[in-house]
Amino acid sequence: MNFVTLAIKNLLRRRGRTILTVLGVAIAIAVLFSLLSFNSGYEKQLSGELDSLGIHILAVPKGCPYEAASLIIHGGVIPKYLSNSDVEEAKKIAGIEIATPMLLHQFYKDEKPHIVYGINVDDMLRLKSWWKVEGRYFSQVEDNVMVVGRSLADKEKLDVGDVVPFGPDKIPFTIVGILERTGTQDDEFHFLPLQVAQRVFDKPDQVTTIAIRVSDISRISEISSQLEEIPDIQVVTMTQVMGTIMNLVGSARTLLMSVIAVAIIISAVGIMNTLLMSVNERTREFGMMKAIGASGTDIGKLILIETLFITIIGGIIGLLLSTLGSTLIEGFVKGIIPYSPAGKLMAPEPGLIGLCLLFSVIIGFVCGIYPAVKSSRLTPMEAIRSNLE
Amino acid sequence: MKEEIILAKGLTKIYHRGSEEIHALKEVSFAVAKGEFVAIVGPSGSGKTTLLNLLGCLDTPSQGSLRLDGTEVSGLKEKDLVKLRRKNIGFVFQQFYLLPTLTVRENIELPLLFNKRNSYQSKIDEVIELVGLSARAGHLPSQLSGGEMQRVAIGRALVNEPKIILADEPTGNLDSATSLKIFDLFQNLNSQGLTLIIVTHNVEIAKLAHRVIHLRDGEIAQEASSVGLSRKIRR
Repeated sequence: MNFVTLAIKNLLRRRGRTILTVLGVAIAIAVLFSLLSFNSGYEKQLSGELDSLGIHILAVPKGCPYEAASLIIHGGVIPKYLSNSDVEEAKKIAGIEIATPMLLHQFYKDEKPHIVYGINVDDMLRLKSWWKVEGRYFSQVEDNVMVVGRSLADKEKLDVGDVVPFGPDKIPFTIVGILERTGTQDDEFHFLPLQVAQRVFDKPDQVTTIAIRVSDISRISEISSQLEEIPDIQVVTMTQVMGTIMNLVGSARTLLMSVIAVAIIISAVGIMNTLLMSVNERTREFGMMKAIGASGTDIGKLILIETLFITIIGGIIGLLLSTLGSTLIEGFVKGIIPYSPAGKLMAPEPGLIGLCLLFSVIIGFVCGIYPAVKSSRLTPMEAIRSNLE
Repeated sequence: MKEEIILAKGLTKIYHRGSEEIHALKEVSFAVAKGEFVAIVGPSGSGKTTLLNLLGCLDTPSQGSLRLDGTEVSGLKEKDLVKLRRKNIGFVFQQFYLLPTLTVRENIELPLLFNKRNSYQSKIDEVIELVGLSARAGHLPSQLSGGEMQRVAIGRALVNEPKIILADEPTGNLDSATSLKIFDLFQNLNSQGLTLIIVTHNVEIAKLAHRVIHLRDGEIAQEASSVGLSRKIRR
């Protein structure tokens, strides 16, 4: 027998209480781990999403806030437009490698939003070199054809060659290709030749944005200034988009952090309360232990081992809970933050697992130290005083 | 005279309850020889348990001196008292104080854990046999009778090989037949040279000791040898 087996047997004496305390720790650690892994995954995913656009600058209609750029990236629609002539003006600026216009349109089918991108396919393939298609891409001169993302095709049970009624006038469109899964928001979109989209949605000569890639990224700010000289255009760089989104998310993150802090404080108070109750109940037992040769340090050590057991087991269960429930937690967090990139946001890393386990050990020490010191300082006489005559 | 293992001179213990002073022991002096069996008797509140706790280094006297196997106890720090307890004292309580989740064997092993003598299995076996619990070694306290639980407590007191066993009303929770069996065990231990000091209310059992110290109001009222009384246990 050693102190660890003695501690385990002591904890098993009051199973119900031990289980509840372990659960308290587990919940606190699960919340902490979820947020930390969300935090690390979010930034990574967001920067990956911006990279996946393959563009450095978005030209949007003047008067649009930065948030509009965020919406565009995610397939949102803004009720302002640039014209084809703006596109031509932009293309003239030196240092721009690609400037491709896009028209975004949103419609509802069975109460679900559908996003349509009117694009110039040759430019898009240069921006998104990783795109692969089942079937083929359309050419700019084709009419009534479209390419759809993989997730959309799966949801709508679409196959290459299918002809579907499309747009407000239910014109039959042929699906010529389905994009292979990209893991980005592109999986959810309809892609049409720009001119076809402008005609179908009655936006002649109008584009929502111009996606721009520069040949030398060190010239982004210089090129941005030149673009802003075009009267209708406002420039948003991807760095600004990232900053804006991170700012937006910041306040939500502060709220979540406060929730975690409260959860951890409640859990810590609960553990300490349980331990103090247990120490008080076992005062005579500690007196007996001292009478048969235990030192104050031995008693303190026993209490501390019991506490660490509770918090470490709680920590491990919390990590498992968080991992198993990550989809649920992700859905919840996505619901309360203003912008979330597509794809899995929770990125549990080994370092994070270690950090959370370390944190549960620290909670154990913080909560266990007072009851341990209190019980170790009891003189044997105080401990078995009820036997005093 | 045999060598003294306990020498108490003017032992006084005062407790404070608010502004009130309670004189639990008043200048008690006596000596106990090695291998002696002493019973301490007296009415409730006479200071029996206080005296036992002082002898067991669970408490320190307010005044007076106490020598335990040649070591002066008064003024020792808790750390040194722990060492002295581990080396010299085995405690037996009225309420047994067994840990309910530990088996008989583990309860007996407990003092060895605190004494950092983990690889001492043969000693545990020996003690279990001595207290007559070989067949119950794997049982939990809840599966034992009162007499068996007290045997476990005695085994626990013996496992560190102490020089003195201090027992506080060891038969207080047992019926008379079981009490006699426990005393049979105590007498057996005493015959092997162990010094025994027992606090008891039970006059019949006190008569079985070599010497009886009567306490009243914190003082020794009478100290009598039991010579002449039958030391045979009457079953």
